[in-house]
Amino acid sequence: MLEVDVVVPRGTFRLEAAFSSDAPIVALFGRSGSGKTTLVNAIAGIVRPQRGRIVIGERVLFDSARGIDLVPEKRRVGYVFQDALLFPHLSVRANLAYGEGLTPPAERFVDGERVLALLGIRELLDRNPASLSGGEKQRVAIGRALMASPRILLLDEPLASLDGARKAEILAYIELLRDELRLPMVYVSHALEEVTRLADRVVVIAEGRVIAEGPAAQALSRADMGALTGRFDEGAVIEARVATHDAGFELTTLAFAGGELVVPNLDALPGEPVRVRVRARDVSLALARPSGITIQNVLEGNVVSIGHEFGAIVDVTVRIGDTGLTARITRKAASDLALAPGSRVFAMVKAVSIDRRSVGFA
Amino acid sequence: MRHLLAALLCLTLAPAAHAQSALVFAAASLKEALDEVASTFAMGRAGRVDVSYAASSALARQIERGAPADIFISADTDWIDYVEQRGLAAPGTRRNLLANDLVLIAPAASQVRVKLAPGVDLAAALGKGRLAMADPESVPAGKYGRAALTSLGAWKGVEGRVAPSETVRAALALVARGEAPLGVVYRTDALAEKGVRIVDAFPAASHPPIVYPVVLLKRSSSPVARAFEGYLASPDARAIFERHGFRMP
Amino acid sequence: MSGDETGILLLSLKVAFAGLAASLPPGIAIAFVLARKRFPGKTLFDAFVHLPLVLPPVVVGYVLLVLFGTQGPIGRLLEPLGIVFAFRWTGAALAAAIMGFPLLVRAIRLSIEAVDPRIELAARTLGASRTRVFFTVTLPLSISGIATGGLLSFARALGEFGATITFVSNIPGETRTLPLAIYSFTQVPGGDAQAMRLALFSVALSLAALAFSEWLVRRSPASGHHA
Repeated sequence: MLEVDVVVPRGTFRLEAAFSSDAPIVALFGRSGSGKTTLVNAIAGIVRPQRGRIVIGERVLFDSARGIDLVPEKRRVGYVFQDALLFPHLSVRANLAYGEGLTPPAERFVDGERVLALLGIRELLDRNPASLSGGEKQRVAIGRALMASPRILLLDEPLASLDGARKAEILAYIELLRDELRLPMVYVSHALEEVTRLADRVVVIAEGRVIAEGPAAQALSRADMGALTGRFDEGAVIEARVATHDAGFELTTLAFAGGELVVPNLDALPGEPVRVRVRARDVSLALARPSGITIQNVLEGNVVSIGHEFGAIVDVTVRIGDTGLTARITRKAASDLALAPGSRVFAMVKAVSIDRRSVGFA
Repeated sequence: MRHLLAALLCLTLAPAAHAQSALVFAAASLKEALDEVASTFAMGRAGRVDVSYAASSALARQIERGAPADIFISADTDWIDYVEQRGLAAPGTRRNLLANDLVLIAPAASQVRVKLAPGVDLAAALGKGRLAMADPESVPAGKYGRAALTSLGAWKGVEGRVAPSETVRAALALVARGEAPLGVVYRTDALAEKGVRIVDAFPAASHPPIVYPVVLLKRSSSPVARAFEGYLASPDARAIFERHGFRMP
Repeated sequence: MSGDETGILLLSLKVAFAGLAASLPPGIAIAFVLARKRFPGKTLFDAFVHLPLVLPPVVVGYVLLVLFGTQGPIGRLLEPLGIVFAFRWTGAALAAAIMGFPLLVRAIRLSIEAVDPRIELAARTLGASRTRVFFTVTLPLSISGIATGGLLSFARALGEFGATITFVSNIPGETRTLPLAIYSFTQVPGGDAQAMRLALFSVALSLAALAFSEWLVRRSPASGHHA
């Protein structure tokens, strides 16, 4: 169980955050500058809070009331940085061994061979960090942190300096680690996509404060997500379960609290729980159930509220059974259809818009 | 425009300005005395005398390399010979200006007693310390010192215990600071430094006579330099030199 | 080369190496403090370290004489311990070390500053104490600066004249290093040829030191300077 409750003044900025988690991965989600890196730095011991308490399991890392402040090297907190930060003067092998050698034998529980296999880095052992690609560097960085047998693994925007294909690759590795190793992880990111894919539990941070904490769908469904995620990504996260597969057309049906969603084939077993991200810009509304259209997902529900923030465009929150969905449409359309809170509508979501990147496995 | 004119004016006046000054190269041991003579000379006269003090060896080399000196006063004959041999001296202008004595000194607080006679055991008097003197290989004061010690039979004993300095004044300073228990300098140096006392004087017979030859340099075109060179032998100048401990040759 | 000349060469090398060896540990330590730490009076301290660079060498020599001479406070303190600087090659080494120190510190400091402090933090999260981080990460990554600084300091030591002659005078076999020997020869009529020979040896030594320093830098794994 990770418990964090700290106050950290940083120049003009003040972080006052508290959260706790015993999920395999907890994500710290928020914009750049919101304080999430400061928070993990406090957990690692790189930054000293003005006051507060940081505990992992029964091990107290920091407690200002009792005068406890463990130095970083005693915290056994693994840290994967955004740009790997491998030791340029050591080979990959030496990098990996660095932390391992500093861990007392009694406390070493990580199986080195397994880490090499899981991350696919065995063939890189004799290479030099300078000759590695971005993705390779990151994998070695993860391996290095793991080989020191940490009690918890912190990952600070580990995909930020990678390109699209590499991002997907490393994301897959992290998912694998989450499932294979019983090591709690704290994943910091401003990318909604990564967060929804990886984390069961999300802590949303804005301007140095925790504004939401809880299961991913819940924490991420607040209306003010727009400021945090960037307008393009804004949307809803839905918790669902895999229901059936259509082998012929390679589609998967997901069941959620408001109905069903059809998406392109997911490699998952029936019954598996998933998180689905539906972007507001991919949702259209109709007053009547349409026919003769290509859209696979037509969900009946009611308008809850209509936002009036943007000039030509409005966000309409719709309730589908017990689940919330947001539709981004023109203000004209809302006016033409005379949408108002309570209006009965049909929300339409193209199956194509829900791709593999929008789905996370619990 | 005005600045340009001023600059041009300065340039044309420069040679004239040089005519109003003289540059004297003099052995380091002459410092206090010669400074006084030079300032007395300059009083009531249009014209300036600048003096550059260093080891005679260094000065002779600089003159050889074209230094713009008008007058050279050396602490021994070797270096004047050096300048003469290279045709740098104005013929007929060489004469012996001053004479000096060589003394053994110790820090003012020291109680050491040494009699400078043939067979003197200077090494014993030195104890663990070193003998401060100007470089015996090149600086006049050092050369005189070595000659004197050799003639007294003491050189072999102290040869390996010498601390050779760039100039005789540097050796004087070492003794004044107490870094060296004994030193060999000119009488005039010892008199100028309150931090040392004279232990004994080297017998005049133990070394070649210490004379300070002066010569006007051939390249000199300064009337002030000529005047000053003449002034050096005047009764006024003599009185000043004698007050500082120099003798007439 | 004559026996005398060999002696002068060897003495110069002894003095320069001893000066370098003595100034490396404090040089690295001070460079690290200046690179990484902030404290009141840091600018003043930095200026003080650079003093030998801006003061006339004779002045530095004089200060050394006052402090480390047989009558000086530090000299008197060290004498019973058997450490004597006055009129000894150790004094020449001290003068050389002091004169080269600012160059040493500057080069090493620049090199340490180029090491990403976050790499040091990464090492700490892996379990390394500050000291271990310094020796296993910071120092290896600053090798090029240490080599450069060492070379500059060594070359300066080989050419050191003013402070040396003022502090420990020009004692053949003890403090008559190459520059002092060259000077002595130029003071003697007809000594030019020998002075020139020794000057050429000086050049050869400096070139050898430069080559060695280059080799050292090339040998070190990834220089540690990041894009």
